[in-house]
Amino acid sequence: MKLTVNGEPHEHQGNGSIDALLEELGAHKEHTALMVNGNVISSKEWKTTILNKNDAVEMLVFVGGG
Amino acid sequence: MNDILKVGNQKFKSRLFLGTGKFSSTKAMIAAVKASGTELVTVALRRFNRAQAEDDLYGPLAELSNVQIMPNTSGAMNAKEAIRAALLGRELSKSPIVKLEIHPNPHHLLPDPIETFEAAIELVKQDFIVLPYIPADPVLAKRLEDIGCAAVMPLGAAIGTGKGLAMAEMIKIIIRDANIPVVVDAGLRAPSEAAHALEMGSDAVLVNSAIAAAENPTAMAAAFKTGTEAGRAAHLAGLMPTSEIAVASSPLTHFLAPADEKEPII
Repeated sequence: MKLTVNGEPHEHQGNGSIDALLEELGAHKEHTALMVNGNVISSKEWKTTILNKNDAVEMLVFVGGG
Repeated sequence: MNDILKVGNQKFKSRLFLGTGKFSSTKAMIAAVKASGTELVTVALRRFNRAQAEDDLYGPLAELSNVQIMPNTSGAMNAKEAIRAALLGRELSKSPIVKLEIHPNPHHLLPDPIETFEAAIELVKQDFIVLPYIPADPVLAKRLEDIGCAAVMPLGAAIGTGKGLAMAEMIKIIIRDANIPVVVDAGLRAPSEAAHALEMGSDAVLVNSAIAAAENPTAMAAAFKTGTEAGRAAHLAGLMPTSEIAVASSPLTHFLAPADEKEPII
């Protein structure tokens, strides 16, 4: 399934859940916050939220900032 | 001394908040955080990049005891983006405290007061503890207090400039009128400036570049700790009033001159 992840095209191979996408990309789930098409999706919903073709996913982590 | 800073329902003994940006390494940042004695650090959000996993601060910061994480909304160009960033930050920090910052112009990084105000209204509605980074504008500060912000964070000078308390006179007015904590954020370079900010009655300071860009960040963090504590203690002790004319602190009795000489006219 074609997705856009952090602005880049990505071909997702898993079952389409957010959990599966994070595993595929090697992201640490506890360290990641996530948006789909501009909507923040709480980690509680990652197992059950199924992505659709062409969804734009943003995955964010904490970095240094003032 | 039981001198506690309350920001919303959060309580802090340390009045030094620390930014975690610009450090040469995560190790250097953690050492500075420890040396500073801070209980509140800011972090930013960035896109996940597996190739730069070492930049992810979640793990290193989670190991620190007694240090809260305050995500910022840096990168947001308007209220809508800032609200989104705040929601994302809360997902990770598991805490409602947020540093609201919207500074769309990269040349001066000055906060956009209108977008900041609009975002603050919405974030307060969504039960965030909102600490907005603002221009040193007493009218805006009061308006943000009125809509429920937990503190205001006026800039001492533009971010990263190290120009100190350039806005001191305006910050004094904000402090005089405020019923919520005032945190001087941005511009500080030296611990003496942090001391000055606290002496003036600021409730805390937020420091990043001055520590991260110091030759020895750990030692500078410790120096800012001392400066902040000294400034707060001086504020509580009550500074003496100023005077336009000299006021002697030693007796001026004219006992050294010969008895037939008249006392000098002062």
